[in-house]
Amino acid sequence: MHEGHLTHNNMKNDFKLSDLPKHNIYEVPDKYFDRLPAQIMERTAGAGYSPAPWYAPAWKPLRLALAPLVLLLVAGIVYFSQMRQEQEKSAVILATVGDEAIVNYLSTFAVLESSDFAELPSLSSPDMTAEFLNVSPKAAEEELEYYQLEMTDY
Amino acid sequence: MEDKEILDKFANPESRNLAFNQLIRKYQQKIYWHIRKMVIDHDDADDLTQEVFIKVWKNLENFRQDSQLYTWLYRIATNECLTFLSSKRKKFFLPINDVAAELTEKIDSSPDIDGDEIQLKLQKALLKLPDKQRLVFNMKYYDELKYEEMSEILGTSVGALKASYHHAVKKIEEFIKRD
Repeated sequence: MHEGHLTHNNMKNDFKLSDLPKHNIYEVPDKYFDRLPAQIMERTAGAGYSPAPWYAPAWKPLRLALAPLVLLLVAGIVYFSQMRQEQEKSAVILATVGDEAIVNYLSTFAVLESSDFAELPSLSSPDMTAEFLNVSPKAAEEELEYYQLEMTDY
Repeated sequence: MEDKEILDKFANPESRNLAFNQLIRKYQQKIYWHIRKMVIDHDDADDLTQEVFIKVWKNLENFRQDSQLYTWLYRIATNECLTFLSSKRKKFFLPINDVAAELTEKIDSSPDIDGDEIQLKLQKALLKLPDKQRLVFNMKYYDELKYEEMSEILGTSVGALKASYHHAVKKIEEFIKRD
């Protein structure tokens, strides 16, 4: 149906959008679309642009590869923190055990092995102090002199 | 010039300006008219069209070619329109109907709008629709986009778009019969 046939009465009675020819009622100033590209290009000169970072092409596969590693890391942290908590708990429990109970336990269950006996001679070695204290005999002597510990009675 | 060629040229710093100029020339009218039908006023449409292309300039190198260039441009333009209309309401604390009334008044008074009675009525009827439904109507009726393309642009399912367009047509017909 032609546009002109749609009179006011037709509209009111039985208007169908499909009967109406498509028409753009809006207008632009003369030569607007000839000028627009230049106006935009002028603005882009001051706008700068955001180039893709150098790692952009590798970023997507890298993200996919990193995801399981991060998960593994998190799982590891959780696991080790739980282990540490367990150890601390054991230490707390052990601290509550009385000396008498420990001595009883050791005298009942501890077994000395031949390697323990092999270490006995080294206990009398003159270097024992140095080995255990991590201090030279000379330094130890100097300390004794400084604090006059040799004169002290225990 | 094909989009692929424009994008390739844009990636090269030496031909970037030339490529972008060609991109503007290829899409300026589609983008402008898409915006103009939403905001009605030429000056607003001009500002928004320029903003769209400035955004395209800034982000084109990050454009992933898993969607078509023109659907990406439409999406940017659509977002600009919706943001503009929304900020207009917030700025003047206007309800939807008052913005529609303002735009309707522009249709009556603007010197760069020219149409017969029924065409003007159609535009006024369109302004009674919510912004997103108006977008759907314009894209289907005027721009003749496929529902699949509209779905990509608007991030809405094809079914919902079909229903939205169907209801828009019914509302417009009712409005014109009643008015």
